Amino acid sequence: MSARIEAQGVSKRFGPVVALDAFSLEVAPGEIFGLIGPNGAGKTTFIRILTGYWLASEGDVRVDGVSVTRERFRVQARLGYACEQPKLYADHTVDAFLRFMGEVRGLGGARLRAAVGLSVERMGLEPVRRRRIGVLSKGFRQRVALAQALLHDPALLVVDEPTVGLDPAQQIELRRIIAGFRGTHTVLLCTHQLHEAEAICDRVALLDRGRLAALATADEIRVGGSLEALFLARVGREPAAGVVP
Amino acid sequence: MIRRVLALARKELHQLFASPIAYVVGTAYVALTGIYFFQHLVSYNQLLFVYQSEGLTGGGFDQGTVPSHINVLNEVFVPAADDFGLFLLVVLPLVTMRVFAEERANGTDELLLTSGLRPWEIALAKHAVTYFFVLLLLAASAIYPAVVVARAGLGFEHLLALYVGQLCYGCAIASIGLACSSFTSSQIVAAVLGYSIPFVLLDFAWLTNTVSEEVAARLHEIALLSHYGSFPRGVIELSEVVYFAGIAFLGWLASLTSLELGRAR
Amino acid sequence: MTFLPAAGLVMILVGVASYYATRSLHGLSAFSGANLALGVLLVLAGAAAQVRSFRGFSGAASRRVALRALSVFVAGLLAVIALDVAARRSTARLDLTVDRLYTLSDQTRALCAELDTDAGPPIELVFFEDALLAKDVRLLVAAYASACPRVAVRDASRKEPPAGARDLYTTSATTVIACRGEVCDPVGYPSERNITSALLRLASERVPRVFFLVGHGEVDLASQNDNGYSGLAALLRDQGFDVRALVGPATAELPAEADVVIAAAPERDLLPVELALLDRYLEGGGRLLALSEPALRSNFYSDLLLRWGFDLEDGVIADDATSPLLEDPTPLNLLVHRFAPYNPVTRTLSRRTMVLMPTTRPVGLARKPQPDDRLERIAFASERAFVDRDLARALAGHGLARPADAASSEPPVAATGSYPRGEVDPATDVAAREARIVVIGDRDFASNRLLDALYNRDLLLNAVRWLAGDEARIALSDKAWTPNQDPLTLQQTVAYFYFLAFALPEALLLLGIYAWWRNRA
Repeated sequence: MSARIEAQGVSKRFGPVVALDAFSLEVAPGEIFGLIGPNGAGKTTFIRILTGYWLASEGDVRVDGVSVTRERFRVQARLGYACEQPKLYADHTVDAFLRFMGEVRGLGGARLRAAVGLSVERMGLEPVRRRRIGVLSKGFRQRVALAQALLHDPALLVVDEPTVGLDPAQQIELRRIIAGFRGTHTVLLCTHQLHEAEAICDRVALLDRGRLAALATADEIRVGGSLEALFLARVGREPAAGVVP
Repeated sequence: MIRRVLALARKELHQLFASPIAYVVGTAYVALTGIYFFQHLVSYNQLLFVYQSEGLTGGGFDQGTVPSHINVLNEVFVPAADDFGLFLLVVLPLVTMRVFAEERANGTDELLLTSGLRPWEIALAKHAVTYFFVLLLLAASAIYPAVVVARAGLGFEHLLALYVGQLCYGCAIASIGLACSSFTSSQIVAAVLGYSIPFVLLDFAWLTNTVSEEVAARLHEIALLSHYGSFPRGVIELSEVVYFAGIAFLGWLASLTSLELGRAR
Repeated sequence: MTFLPAAGLVMILVGVASYYATRSLHGLSAFSGANLALGVLLVLAGAAAQVRSFRGFSGAASRRVALRALSVFVAGLLAVIALDVAARRSTARLDLTVDRLYTLSDQTRALCAELDTDAGPPIELVFFEDALLAKDVRLLVAAYASACPRVAVRDASRKEPPAGARDLYTTSATTVIACRGEVCDPVGYPSERNITSALLRLASERVPRVFFLVGHGEVDLASQNDNGYSGLAALLRDQGFDVRALVGPATAELPAEADVVIAAAPERDLLPVELALLDRYLEGGGRLLALSEPALRSNFYSDLLLRWGFDLEDGVIADDATSPLLEDPTPLNLLVHRFAPYNPVTRTLSRRTMVLMPTTRPVGLARKPQPDDRLERIAFASERAFVDRDLARALAGHGLARPADAASSEPPVAATGSYPRGEVDPATDVAAREARIVVIGDRDFASNRLLDALYNRDLLLNAVRWLAGDEARIALSDKAWTPNQDPLTLQQTVAYFYFLAFALPEALLLLGIYAWWRNRA
C-alpha cells in the first residue's frame, strides 16, 4: 500500500523570512519523488511541515486526504521519516533503538520482533545489531535511521539527504534499497545529489527560494539532457559549493 | 498509549543511567545526607550527655531531667529533613537540565515528535522517570534514618511521613527544573533557570521587609518551605500534598506547553 | 536566551543564596539586595527585549495552536490555584507520629464538646507565629482549630501581642496564649496538656477548692525545698484549682466549698475534734486524699482511715526487681507499674507509665464501714516486692529482712474508697452524696524533687480530679515519649556513617565511572 501527497499553496514564514512561498505539488502513490534545490531553498522546511513537526503559515499538506495541520498523528502513523544527519540515541544499541521506535509506533510482542528483524535484514544491520549507535560509522547510522522509518511498514517514506557523507559503495547500496520501494511505497526523497535524483526518482521537483522552480519527469529530464542542465537553467546560477553534480 | 509512554519511559531510564551525571548526583546526595545526619546525631548525643550529667543519678528521660522537647525527633529528624530538602534543591537541577534540552540540542525531539508520540506523552514519560529518580535518591538516603527509627522505636509510619514530604518536595523541584529544560536547548541555561526559580520560591523571606504585610502573607502561602514543615513532624496534611502536586502538575503542563509552542514557531 | 536575562538570573540566584547563608547575622545585606535588585532589572529588560523582538505568529494555524496551548496552561494554573485554596480549607490529615502527638486526646475533645454548649464568649488561642517553638506547635494548634468549633485560633506576632496578653508574664517558650474576652491565660510550654488546661481554666465557671490540712507536721505547702510541696501547689493552681491551707483546730466546720481535702502525711495526732470534723465532712460526701509514709503513727491513720476501711500496715516496701534500674543499693525506691486497669484514678496508667515512690508504706484494706461501700487497691509494687517490718534497720540502710513466707507479693501502695451516703434515688439508683477517699502510702512522690519524675504527676492529678468529681478531665497527660531516645551508641553511629558517607557513595561513583567508560568505549 502507498500514499498520495497533496500540498496546496504551502507557505512558511519566520518573521520577515519566507522559507516557503505558495508551494504546491502532488505525489502519486507508489512514486519515488525527488525534491532538489540549493541550500535554503525550503526542502527541509517542507518536509518538517509534511511530517507535522512544524505548522504551515498558509496552505496545507494532505496525505491520502488527511490534513497534516488538523490530524497530524493520523498522518504520522502512515509515514516513516529518516532525517538529514540522523537523529539517533547514541547510547542505545541498534536493536534496543529499533525496539524502542517500534513500540512508539504501536508494535509489540511478536509483531515487534518480526518488524525489527525485517528492518535489520533489509538494511543489512545484522553485523552491528548489538553495537551501540554511537560507535557506528555514518553509513550504518543512515541505515539505522532508515530502518526505524520502515519498522511499521509505512505507506509513505520521507528521506532527507540519505547519502550525505557516505562512500560511493554505501551510496549505491542505499540507492538500490530506496529504488526497491517503487510501487509498494511512496517515497519522498530530498537530496542535493542531482545524479541520485536522476537515477532513482520518477519525478523531480526543483525548489528555489521557497518556490517551485521546475517539475520534471524522468523522461523529461533525459530528453532535456540532465538534471544538472535543468538545475542551472531554472535556478540560474552555479550550483552552490557542496552540491555534487 | 500506555505502551508508548512505557517505551519512552524505558528509553529515558536507559539514558539517565547511561550518563555518569546520575551517579555523580546520587553519590553527592547520599554522601551529604549521610554526613549531615551523622552530625545531627552526634550533636544530639552531646546534648543528652549534658542534660543527663546534670540530673539525678541515672538521670535521663525516665527521670524527667531531659525535657520532653529534647528528643530524637526534634533534634535529629526535623533539622535533618531541612538539610535533605536543601540538598535536593542543589542536586536535582543537574539531573533535570538535560532531560528536554539535550533532545532539542541533538535534534532527537524531531524524531519523537514526528513518530506519532503525543506531546503530553513525551512530557509525562520524562517527568515520571525523573520523579522515579527522586524516589531512588530518597530511598538511598533513607538507610541511616531507617536504622535510627528502628532502634528508637519512633515508628516507620513517622519515617514514611518524612519521606512522603521529601518526595513531594523533590518532585516539585524536579518538575520546575524539567519545565525550565523544556524551554531551551542549552543545558546550562536550563540549570541556571532550574536553580533560580526554586531558590526564589523557597520562602520569600528576603522580600518581607520590602512589601506590605498582605503581600508578604500571600507570598508566604505560595512559598515552598512554608508547606514542608509538617512532614518531618510526622503529619501528612492534605493541603500540603495538594500544593506540591499542583506544582508538579504545573511543571508538566509547562513542559507540554513548550512542546506545543515549538510546533507553532 | 540572551546574555541579559541569563546574567540577571545568576544575580538573583547569588542574591538569594547569599541571603540564606547570612540571614542569621543581619537579614538582607546590601550585597544580597543589590544582586537581587539588579538581577530583577536585567531579567525584566531581557523579557522586554524578547517581547519587542516578537514578530507575531507565522500563520493562522500557528496562532491557533499557540493560543490553545497558552489557554490550556492558564486554565491549568487557575485550576491548581482553585484546588489549592479549597485544600487549604480542609483539615484532613494523617498523624503518623507513634504517639499521635498531633491528634487531640478524648479528654480534650470532650472538653471541646462541652464548650460547644457553653453560653459564654468563645475562647481564642493566640498563636505567636514568630515564637521559638512556633513551627513545632502549629500542627497542634491547628488540631484545636478543627476539633473545637468554639475555640478560634488567631495568628499574632510576639512584637504586637493582643491587649489582654500584654501584661502577662511570658517566656521565650510562650507560643500560645488562651483568651476569653478580656481575660488571657499564658500556656507556657505549648503541649496539649497545657493548652487544654488553659482552656479548662477559662471555661470553668466554678473554681474547685482544695484544702491542705496543716498543723500536724504535714508537708509544707510553701516550702521550695526538695521535700516541699510548693511545686504541687503550683501544679494544682495551674490545673485550675484554688489551693488553700486548712488550719486545724481554728475551724469548727470544714468550709462548705471544700471540694477536696488533702492530708499530706500528718506526723502528729489530730485532736478529737479534728477527727470528728473530718468524719462529718466525709459522711456529708466529702473527698479526702491521704498521703502517708512508713513509720508515721498519727491517729489519722490508726483511727480515721481505719474506720473508713484502710489499714496502713507498719513496714516499708522493698523491691529488688526495680532497684537495679535505679542503680539503687537499698531497694526501697519503687518503680510502680502495676495498676488497677478499670479504676478511674489509674485506668490511664500502665506498665509503660511508671510512678517513682521512695520509701513506701503498704496500704491494705480493712472492713468496709457499710456494705455498699467500695474499697479497691489501685497500685502495686512488683511481684518480687515484700514488706520489711523492721523499719528501723531498713530505713537506716542496714539491709532488708525478707520474710521467709514472703506473703506479701505485689504489696499495694495505694487504694481508693467510694462511700454512697444519704437517700438513694430510685430512678437512677444513685445516692444523694458520695464520699471518696484516696490513700497513697508515700508522700515524697509528690514533692518538689520528684513531682516531675516519670508519671508521678499523673497519679496525683488523677486522684485529685477523681476526688473533685472531674473524671472526664483525668489524665490530661502530655503524649508519652516512650520510645528509646538514645538509639545508637557512638560506635554504631560511626559505623553507619562510614557506610553511608563513604562506602555507598563510593559504590555509586564507581558505577558512574563504569557507565562513563562504556559510553566512551
